[in-house]
Amino acid sequence: MALFSQISQQGFQALLWKCHIFWPFSRCQQLFAVSLGIPNREKINSFSFMTSSSTALSVDPKETDVLPTEKKSKIDCKEGEGWDEETKEIPEGKFHYSSSVGAAKKWSMSHVLSRHKFSKVQPPEKPLQAEEWNKLREDFQSPEIFEEVMLNSMIRCNSPIDVAKSLLTHLAKRNGDIAYSVLVKYLTLCVQQGQVSEIRDVHDIMKARFKILESGAYSLLIRGLSNSNQWRMALTVLEEVKKIMIPSRMCYESCIKAASHHQEMKLAFELYNEMLAKGLVPTLDVLQSFFDFSRGMKGAELQKELFGILLYLRENQIYPHKTFMRSIKLWFESLPGGNWRGHLTNVKDSGQCPVCKHQLEESNLTEQEYSHLSERIIRDVIHGTDTFRKTSPKELEAFQTFVENRLPFDIVIDGLNVSHIKSRRMQCENLLDAVNCLAKENARLLVLGRKHMLMNSSNWKREIMKEMQNKADFFFAENISEDDAFLLYATLRSGKHCRFVTRDFLRDHKACLSDSLTRHLFRKWQRGHQIVFFPSADGRSIKFLPALSYDCVVQTTGDTWHIPYKDVFEEKYSYEVPRKWLCIQQKL
Amino acid sequence: MQSANMLLRRIVRCSALPFAVQHGMKKDLFLLGRTLSLSLCLKQDKSCEPSEKLDLDEWKKVMKSGLQEEVSETASEPKELSGLAAARETLEMWRLAGRAVPENVSEEQLKTFMECPSKSAKKKYLKYLHLKELHKKNDKRKMDEKRERRLEAQDQASKTDETKNCPFVCLWSRTMDKAYNWRAAQAMVFGQPLVFDMSYEKEMSAREVTNTVSQIVMSESSNRRSVDPFHIHFCNFKDDSLYHREFIKNYRDAWDKLLITVTEQCYTEIFPKDKLIYLTADSPNVMKTFDHDKIYIVGSLVDKSIKRGVSLARAKRLGLETAALPLEKYLLWSTGAKNLTLDQMMHILLTLKDTADWKKALEFVPKRKYCGFVNKPVKELKKTLDLINTLKLGKGQEKVEKQFAKNYPKKYKIKQK
Repeated sequence: MALFSQISQQGFQALLWKCHIFWPFSRCQQLFAVSLGIPNREKINSFSFMTSSSTALSVDPKETDVLPTEKKSKIDCKEGEGWDEETKEIPEGKFHYSSSVGAAKKWSMSHVLSRHKFSKVQPPEKPLQAEEWNKLREDFQSPEIFEEVMLNSMIRCNSPIDVAKSLLTHLAKRNGDIAYSVLVKYLTLCVQQGQVSEIRDVHDIMKARFKILESGAYSLLIRGLSNSNQWRMALTVLEEVKKIMIPSRMCYESCIKAASHHQEMKLAFELYNEMLAKGLVPTLDVLQSFFDFSRGMKGAELQKELFGILLYLRENQIYPHKTFMRSIKLWFESLPGGNWRGHLTNVKDSGQCPVCKHQLEESNLTEQEYSHLSERIIRDVIHGTDTFRKTSPKELEAFQTFVENRLPFDIVIDGLNVSHIKSRRMQCENLLDAVNCLAKENARLLVLGRKHMLMNSSNWKREIMKEMQNKADFFFAENISEDDAFLLYATLRSGKHCRFVTRDFLRDHKACLSDSLTRHLFRKWQRGHQIVFFPSADGRSIKFLPALSYDCVVQTTGDTWHIPYKDVFEEKYSYEVPRKWLCIQQKL
Repeated sequence: MQSANMLLRRIVRCSALPFAVQHGMKKDLFLLGRTLSLSLCLKQDKSCEPSEKLDLDEWKKVMKSGLQEEVSETASEPKELSGLAAARETLEMWRLAGRAVPENVSEEQLKTFMECPSKSAKKKYLKYLHLKELHKKNDKRKMDEKRERRLEAQDQASKTDETKNCPFVCLWSRTMDKAYNWRAAQAMVFGQPLVFDMSYEKEMSAREVTNTVSQIVMSESSNRRSVDPFHIHFCNFKDDSLYHREFIKNYRDAWDKLLITVTEQCYTEIFPKDKLIYLTADSPNVMKTFDHDKIYIVGSLVDKSIKRGVSLARAKRLGLETAALPLEKYLLWSTGAKNLTLDQMMHILLTLKDTADWKKALEFVPKRKYCGFVNKPVKELKKTLDLINTLKLGKGQEKVEKQFAKNYPKKYKIKQK
């Protein structure tokens, strides 16, 4: 492609815009290809648990040449703002070392702002002579950042390294030195293309030139080296990093993958345990690589470690995704002499695995866990820093005596939440429907509400309220009190058979709990005890989703493993759990 | 690649003319770009193989040759660096790599940096220092420019030396200060009390306390300059607290001469309870009019992470009446939290006190937070707003809108607040 100076590029864009001729399709494709020009073994790390290889990076249509119709998804009132600027923002993946400092502020580092303006600089295709570089530099709007912009666009377009080398040579000749940031960018390009000898050269130069390096360069070096046959060098670099800081989990991950790739499982697990000890959270990717690379390997030690990973999933209530699940299955089946067989299945509400007829674990907590959780709900959620924030001591005391005198309840209902189910009807009618629906089997109900429900109003008719109070116990909190915390407490105090009804996800209450262990307990308990409802299709009645009777975590009995897995890549709501399971059993 | 290139060139050729006519200004640039591109193309056509003369690894030699001298200088390899020095080195490297890192870091700042609990906290702190440094530099630059201009002006003035006859007495700031202080003293005796509740230190981070104090300083100054100032009380004020230290930092010697009442006592001990009204955004009661007989309490709290109900809890505990500003009633709220800064609060209260005009008073709410003033009930306007929005969204969105309407017949509220 021809090389245009910056301005003419913009001229073209404007021109094409005016003439309603859009970029030829091949160009767009090129852009996509470039933006995805990250080798398959790399990955874009944006979520804490991310898969590699199999995930294609989705490119937002907004990030290429946009037709104005696609920009209408923004509802805010910025009329026409940005409709005419065709900034081609290409996701830079992980190679983003820019410091976008107050780009909105004109006085600070105006070139940060221009970084986006210049993102359309086309790097040359062939190495250039010094004078040619000079010429380009002079034609560029702000020459002082020319190298930076040029190298960035080289990284983006994945230019051949010879081009970058010629630029570096030009720089070295002109200034007799090359800035560290330029070296790092060049290193990025080399890592991107897996140029091992170059990476080593840059490493040597950097080591000789600077006392220590910074995290960006270290992680690049580690990544570049670990993907080559020089992977042991990555380990030495990792040791260097440890001297000055805690290495990032990506560094560990690259080293672990390299080690397991070369069948050094022991070393890989040493690194993995070291990483856990430093409080880093491994990505699912690295866990998956363990299963992938130990396929067919013997060794009781190794098996124990891998079972340990499965138990890690269990303890942290992590659900593997589909490809990870497949790796686990294949590993089990490849165990020599193990006779493991895996099947994919759906578990029904009864909690029985259709394949091996094994009954999954109950979702109930132990007595100890119940009391711990209710204590914590009282301490962290209701009291918090100040009892008056959610209730008042007087009210809390009243509520506690009320509950203790009437225990145990079977179902606790969040009255206000239920009353909003159908907006076309009176709120008290909605609540009445729900109460009638739930009160069938002689269940003891508790409805929590607020005092304004007792005022005879258009939404709350006194006679209907009277009628309901015959069927269920009611507790009315102050209008400015939080009723959710009461709901949780009453349900927990009633014991393991008690369920609660609300559409609220209770995330804010979970967040009040101080430690992650209690939060996990809360989640588990919530899954097993929350009844969610929605208006049924005919619009007359309410449908309730029963709470799960079994616990949805990785579980084992020694000769069977049951592993729930996710189909898609999204955080489920707290009451939604995967229904798909991998059932693995050992035939002896 | 080539084909695209050809196509582009063709487009250029066929449409260069109209474009050039349209954009006479850009013409020359455009042509320049074109010649440049073409000349390069020609070059590439001529020599498809990379030029022989270019030694691509020359930069390495240059770097290494430069190193020979350097190494001789720093022949002694660095031993294990101590914590602070290592941190300093790391910062320097980050700066070289182009991150937002300040150039000069004091020992104290380094220690703060090392104590940051997480990587992101470190990053934020560095960015903050970096921006601070930039501000400082810019201010210095402006000052220097100003000084130069002044000197020039003085030079010119000395040339055209003439005595001025000014009919007005020049009011120097000292005179103004005296007048303000006189007013403030009057307020100390006769003014309506306004309480700042200083009991939130525990709820805030050090930086939030700093922000709180600077906001209070601003409030105090705007109060002093007003026609009819409040008599400001700082209640629950602990000596040698973080608040106190920050105030000393801000006011220096003026702290003891301030015409306000600072006390360790609680407001409930000083004033009758039924006269107190605690202003908090979480209050269920909306303030209708400004009452000149009541004593309003403002919580000295900056909650960047919105802590709901902290000040409401305090008022509940003491059994005080609470009120919130009628922001919803008078403003078409768009974004942002409804908790305002203390100086905005002060301006609003002063304006209400003087004029009782809500519209004027709420001018001090940041403009970004609302779309406009409301003279009708908001419910009526909601429909028009929705209509405007729907029109803005255009036809493409209608389907989505319908879908949405089907799912949510009315706006679904999880909780009734």
